Amino acid sequence: MSGAVQFYISTLLVYLAVDVMACWALNLQFGVAGLMNFAFIIFQAAGAYTAAVLTLGSPDASGNFQSYVFGSSMPFPLPLLAAAAVGAVLSLVVGLITLRRLRSDYQAMVMLVVSIIATTVVTNEIRLFNGPAGLSTIPQPLADVLNLDPLDYQWFYVAMSVVICAVVYFFVHRITVSPLGRTLRAVRDNDAAAAALGKDVTRMRMFAFVVGGAIAAVSGAVLVQFIGAWAPGGWLYPETFVLLGAVIIGGRGNQLGSIVGALLLPVGFAEATRFLPPIGRPGLIDALQWVAIGLLILLFLWFRPQGIFPERRRTFDGSGTPNRAWTR
Amino acid sequence: MQASLIVAAVGFGLVTASILAIAAVGFTLQYAITNILNIAYGDVMTACAFAAYVLNASGVNIWVCVVAGALFGAFFSLLLNRFVFTAFLRHRTPLYGMIIVSLGVGLIIQNLLLAIGGPNFFSYDAPSGSTVRLGAIHLTQSQIAIMALSVAIMLAVHLLLRHTTLGKAMRATASNPALARVSGIRTDRIVDIAWMLSGALCGVAGVVLVVNTATFAASTGSSFLVIIIAAAVLGGVGHPYGAMLGALTIGLATELSATMISPAYKDVAAFVILAIVLLVRPQGIMAALRTEATGGI
Repeated sequence: MSGAVQFYISTLLVYLAVDVMACWALNLQFGVAGLMNFAFIIFQAAGAYTAAVLTLGSPDASGNFQSYVFGSSMPFPLPLLAAAAVGAVLSLVVGLITLRRLRSDYQAMVMLVVSIIATTVVTNEIRLFNGPAGLSTIPQPLADVLNLDPLDYQWFYVAMSVVICAVVYFFVHRITVSPLGRTLRAVRDNDAAAAALGKDVTRMRMFAFVVGGAIAAVSGAVLVQFIGAWAPGGWLYPETFVLLGAVIIGGRGNQLGSIVGALLLPVGFAEATRFLPPIGRPGLIDALQWVAIGLLILLFLWFRPQGIFPERRRTFDGSGTPNRAWTR
Repeated sequence: MQASLIVAAVGFGLVTASILAIAAVGFTLQYAITNILNIAYGDVMTACAFAAYVLNASGVNIWVCVVAGALFGAFFSLLLNRFVFTAFLRHRTPLYGMIIVSLGVGLIIQNLLLAIGGPNFFSYDAPSGSTVRLGAIHLTQSQIAIMALSVAIMLAVHLLLRHTTLGKAMRATASNPALARVSGIRTDRIVDIAWMLSGALCGVAGVVLVVNTATFAASTGSSFLVIIIAAAVLGGVGHPYGAMLGALTIGLATELSATMISPAYKDVAAFVILAIVLLVRPQGIMAALRTEATGGI
């Protein structure tokens, strides 16, 4: 393979890993726990911002050409962990406002507002977030230690993303197959019944929301350290819709489905239009791409609402022991 | 901070509240009767503003365009209901699916407008008239017309809901659709009417919003949706009278914060109020006043 093709493929693989992680996080919230998190993208953005400022160093060092807070140069895994912590704390705050006593459509509506307002605040707070310009020259993790040539570093980053992905998979999988996961699904399917059986519905929702927010933040951190730039315009509410679409298309509540969904929608769809010849005025293809994404999701909700890989229901044999298929 | 600046902001706040009240009542009325949260509402507003723009650009008076916007909104909403929302409901799409459907419809409308109109700002050919002074409040004639129109619409909605058979049927459908059906109310027709009424209000709000702010783009409606939601939730979603009160509160709050803090933080002020209400009274300010006698709405 030529260098350029390798470069392209490795970049796509990192994007895929990021989107798959994000979809798993959203799947935990929306697919397993039934939360309508229309503000999902801001948790990813918050993680990305955290990782960016914790690796950029002090703004004075680079001559203050961009402004941000908490600038420091932490060694590699720390920014990711800090991102996860920020994602979790932010989720806790948003969750306290939206998840208590609110119907799911109320939740969705308020989350949407949260997402739009967050964009407004970030765009206007020049001192904290550098405004609409965002941050650039974010260093890549371990680049100075490894001293690889750019192509080898690309593949190193792919490997690293896959490892982080595997950790996230294991973590989410443990939750969904455990009694805790069963409780989350019970809350999703019938919260009154779950509450009647003594389950703390709000606490269960909060748990899924916070864990999902932390994973979303990690995925954002992995992405921002790869592309080296961060701007509020890249994290608008329609991006949540794309990830939501990926979870629905792949199969709500199914982790394998989330991989397929991420491959089809955020990665596949975005890349397919890249190779179209430029027709019409600038921005026309972008606009039509959003129309196509919207239509695709509507078509799926109409013809195959359970997605390509439907959630596997736990089944039992005659004697009451669970069938093996579930435990895989 | 000069007192006269604050008084002036109250004037602008009343104008914003007037526009917001039209939009929020339409939003909440449709929700009350159909139980569908319509996130596409803001984008339908933009579509109506665009339809009025096309008409206005060919030389039609702006106030005729307001009526045209209302008709377009009513018709467009009826089509959306028949071919999208009711269709999906009959297809047994669950609640979460309906919300995603409305979000998807909104994105489709917004981006179709973007594809047709391009990333441009559009403005109406509408003389705003001479400025009227009431103490420190300076308003244009068209702003005063907007306020009068809003008050008239609120009165009309009140009379419709309280003093007509149709209004009674609408309230019955909102309160208990199954019971309304067995009482001989054709609820599917009521739902159609609710969508049309909501669409008409959406159309009026979309056009007068642009008359007031002078320009619009494909994303204007979806950004206005933020304060529509804030006003509707503040009043308790599904309560038209609550929405009117919510619109007044949010309208004044946004314009006052624009003067006292920064215009960029208008919507943030609305959000802060929304967050406080959600923390303290998630059911909205009107829920306490709701009694059996008012029958849901």
